[in-house]
Amino acid sequence: MSAQQQHAVCQDLKTPHGLSPRIRRLRDFYFEGLAREWNNEFSCWTTGTPWDVVFDETSYYIVPEVYAFLSTFAASTLQAAQPVELATDFWNWSLPERRAWFIREVMVNYVPKEILPGDLLAGARFNVLASRCWSKNEAAERNRAIDGAGGARAATKRFHDHGYGNAGATPGHLVPGHARALEIGWKGIHEDIESRYQGLCESDKRGSKGAQLRAMLTAATMPAQVAQGYADLCRRLAGDEPDSRRAEELWNMAGNLDRVPWEPARTFEEAVQALWINHMLVMSDENYPGPGVSFGRIDQYLYPYWQRSLADGMDREFGKEILKCLWIHCNTAYDAMIRVGGNQGITSGFGQLITLSGMGADGRDTTNDLSFAILEVIDEMSPILEPKPNVRLHRNSPDQLLDKVIDMIASSQGAPFLLNFDERSMAGLMREARVAGCEDLIHEGNVFEYAPVGCLENTMVGNDRSGTVDNNLNLLKAVELALTGGKDLTPALDPLSGQAAPLSQDGPETGEPARFSCWEEFWQAYLEQTHYIIESCVNLYEKTERLRAEYCPTPYLSCLVKGCADKGLDITQGGAELSFTTINAGTFATTVDSLLAIKYLVYDNNLIDIDGLIDALKANWQGYETLQAWAKFRAPKYGRDDAAADEMAARVMAVWTTDTWKYRTLSTRRRFRPGMLSWNYWVGDGYIMAASADGRPRGKFLSNALCPSSGADIHGPTANANSAGQALGGRATGGNGDWGDYLNALPNGASHTMTFSPSLLRNQEHRRKFKAFLRGYCRNGGTALQVNVLDADMLRDAQEHPEDYRHLLVRVTGYNAYFTSIGRELQDEIIARESHGAGS
Amino acid sequence: MTAPATNGAGGEERRELTATVLNIQRMSSEDGPGLRTTVFIKGCSLECTWCHNPEAVCAKPQLVWHAERCIGSAHCVRPCPESAITLRQVAPTSSGAGPCSEVVIDHARCTACGECLLRCPSAALEMLGKDWKPEDLFDEVMKDEEYFAGDGGGVTVSGGEPGLRAPFVDAFLARCRTRGIHTAVDTCGMCSPHALRLIATQADLVLYDLKEIDPAKHRAFTGQSNERILANLEELGRMIRDKQVGCDLWIRTPLIPGATATEENVAAIGDYIARELGDLVERWELCSFNNLAADKYRRLGQEWAYETTALLSDSELRGFEAVARRSGVNPDIVVAGGPVRIDCDDETATVE
Repeated sequence: MSAQQQHAVCQDLKTPHGLSPRIRRLRDFYFEGLAREWNNEFSCWTTGTPWDVVFDETSYYIVPEVYAFLSTFAASTLQAAQPVELATDFWNWSLPERRAWFIREVMVNYVPKEILPGDLLAGARFNVLASRCWSKNEAAERNRAIDGAGGARAATKRFHDHGYGNAGATPGHLVPGHARALEIGWKGIHEDIESRYQGLCESDKRGSKGAQLRAMLTAATMPAQVAQGYADLCRRLAGDEPDSRRAEELWNMAGNLDRVPWEPARTFEEAVQALWINHMLVMSDENYPGPGVSFGRIDQYLYPYWQRSLADGMDREFGKEILKCLWIHCNTAYDAMIRVGGNQGITSGFGQLITLSGMGADGRDTTNDLSFAILEVIDEMSPILEPKPNVRLHRNSPDQLLDKVIDMIASSQGAPFLLNFDERSMAGLMREARVAGCEDLIHEGNVFEYAPVGCLENTMVGNDRSGTVDNNLNLLKAVELALTGGKDLTPALDPLSGQAAPLSQDGPETGEPARFSCWEEFWQAYLEQTHYIIESCVNLYEKTERLRAEYCPTPYLSCLVKGCADKGLDITQGGAELSFTTINAGTFATTVDSLLAIKYLVYDNNLIDIDGLIDALKANWQGYETLQAWAKFRAPKYGRDDAAADEMAARVMAVWTTDTWKYRTLSTRRRFRPGMLSWNYWVGDGYIMAASADGRPRGKFLSNALCPSSGADIHGPTANANSAGQALGGRATGGNGDWGDYLNALPNGASHTMTFSPSLLRNQEHRRKFKAFLRGYCRNGGTALQVNVLDADMLRDAQEHPEDYRHLLVRVTGYNAYFTSIGRELQDEIIARESHGAGS
Repeated sequence: MTAPATNGAGGEERRELTATVLNIQRMSSEDGPGLRTTVFIKGCSLECTWCHNPEAVCAKPQLVWHAERCIGSAHCVRPCPESAITLRQVAPTSSGAGPCSEVVIDHARCTACGECLLRCPSAALEMLGKDWKPEDLFDEVMKDEEYFAGDGGGVTVSGGEPGLRAPFVDAFLARCRTRGIHTAVDTCGMCSPHALRLIATQADLVLYDLKEIDPAKHRAFTGQSNERILANLEELGRMIRDKQVGCDLWIRTPLIPGATATEENVAAIGDYIARELGDLVERWELCSFNNLAADKYRRLGQEWAYETTALLSDSELRGFEAVARRSGVNPDIVVAGGPVRIDCDDETATVE
């Protein structure tokens, strides 16, 4: 999901309502930002060695915007780091044991503990950058692998600067086993690890397995020790509290913290308190504030506690207040860099995703009272960014849920959540099970337990880390290399110096395209170059994956993910039962449309020979405007429900996904799997990648994830959705799909954004029509949908860039016309109407 | 100028059954219940002075040029076998954007052969109207089958006047019904009784336009008296009552300033509905005038008398709605909508 999309989702949200004085105060406190006396910005902690590292730059290799600042961040955070007094034999321990102890020491004894004003949940500061605990030799080896010859940093930068994309072993992006941690408490987790450790033979105990399990045993005591610190604090505060009601709350919190998260949770309050501490410490353990550290199906695993507490007399609104406190805590993740940028560190990049509703066993719907309570919380707290919600829909989703969801979309001028579609999503995960041979772990009987992470990246829960954002590859690069026989079309420019890189033979020599006698020969060259870019991506990923496995254990997180204790392997070493990494293809539609255009212009219609087309692309279409128009407006395009064009999309999809499955990481044996997520790369990389044959000049955005190219979507939302579903594989007949009739090539899912007219949501009659669309999308569309609502700004953009909005229709009963083809004055009137009508 | 109403299926069957379709509008939210695919058939039996879809009046395909899409390649001029395309120099715009010449189509000469379209790199030339066979059209609309079911949606045949292509509509909608798709026709009522019976038989819903109750005014506004329209409507009512057809019935009345938008007309239509049709009418839609068709007329080389006509105000629209509710019909069937003047806007033009 892109920053732009997030912005569009959040800018027009209505004002918060229905907040108790407590929550209003907490919420206002949060939005004071830097003016707050308290904040959760990174604190930095060091072993005190001169070679220490507290900022691991590889965590940010998938964020090209920060490449220029990596050295600065590393140096300044080390400078700011405060020393931690080490245990006497610290340096005799294995690295995972050192790191587990160090993080626990920092969180228990160094990071200050505070209770936010009126808060019902403890656990405030968690953003830390803690020493990587490397010995001198470890630091030297690791640093050499980063910035030495052939190092990860230069390779990453080259991959990005030449338009391939980016890759890096990235923290977060999983759903830890929260349900189990609540059920058995850390006591249960600790006992389990202990018995496994005792079950090791002596040589294993002395080896890496033993070290890993000892590290996990240390980590497993951290939550209770942190909770105890907060329990003591609550008692101190309660003793000084003049307001007896507040004092009562603090005593109560202290009682909860005495028990959880060590003991199993009994009440809703205990469960949410335990969940928050367990979750926040994942972010501490990884030194990573939030992106993709996801909660999973919170309305399912918290429901028993919700029911029990309601039955015991908990007021439903009080239950919602506890959740609202959780919401505020999640948002403090953004404090990490609160002084950076103009928005108190609040970016759109984080995604502590929660999942609501969805299919259960036997196709039954799982919506419950807690699902609705959480939707109410979102509605009442909006606008607020975290935790990011994703509502799972399926063919049996109840009308009541859809009605609530659509009312929220209508009143917020866009969805304050993402929508995930179960049948297509589960088909992708079933495909994964079949292709990767893990049918014992993903099957008909449990696939419905899946949950998206981050935004919409589908994974299983509590045993799955699949690197859902780790590899981001521009498929379009293969078209470019096929046109040149393996070289950049235009020299790559260094973003800082502006210096042009010399052209080199990077991809395979697929030959002079002028010698190709037919389209099929060009296609063959494209195939070969696609193999090459995928392999390049795999090789680049290995550079950081290997380093993370060797130098960056996360023993605390490993305790929460099934498989790590069994194997005695850290999650960073592939310990999770399901341990994939994902290549997300970007520029899909731009690639498909470029191939369609090459076929149309050069091979089918002889409008130009291939060298002429290459000249036009090198010239960024300058001087070739007529040819560009043919490419842009006459060549077929993906996204129109046009069977021939969508077949090209399906071919492109089959080629790159089949290739992706062929690879594993060398160091951790994680298999690569496919997905489509473009985050904001489709914007930034549009300035890096050369002009493309679909008519796009350099500097124009690339296509976003599974979406059609900008302006290509000429037959409306249903055609767009049908094309998206077809690109993923469509539907088989007779239950011969991956799940039921559904086929899906992308286990990770695919981001799909669509923009609708606000008039489609203007009254109950029209909202029912929109519901019919969502039910149709469930059958024909993709895995996930971001609903945006057209606003006046977009119409103004259509006035300025009519070529991107050719088919924007103005509709009044019985009448339709293209927005761009009506006079300026009437356009202005329509824009005024949209502005006027917004939010009404 | 308009095509004659068909005189029965016999004459049509000798020719291949096709219709010239102006537009296939998917995910339409305005032409009946649910989400619909609306098929606009070219050719109308009325010539309403306010018509906001003037491109649907003529039954034949028509070539138009979209200035904002043109890149000035002039590739269209030479291929025209009728020499119907010429360029006219225009002053460059202040921004320098757009072509410096206009494409002028001589509509009298143009035979809609489409040669020019093939040469136009930017799709600035558009042929309004494409011939479809019922079976192909069926395949096309079925692409959205999954979206119809959710809220009683389906297929609407509009126009133009679908009654002018009754055998085609019959054949097309019969396929839809066999598949269980909800069907609707949107008619102005100006067609032969036989044609109306044919299309109504295949429709789950008839959207029937009643624009003006006074026959003389109706002739002045539309070129035709409304006698046939009213007689057809009464006959349709009888067929519904006698269960010869199984369709629901909605009435639509456009509220055109200076023409149909008078309290007398609305009241009289209401009175007529109450008297002749009673509870057969499920819904009576009052649709306010919209002013967005000026460019369409310009592209067709036609004048439009309503180019500068102001929209109704919201209070005027609500006033007509109140008149309709008091007119003797069940007030619950009255629905008023459409664009109103911005100073008192409550409902906006729909942009998709």
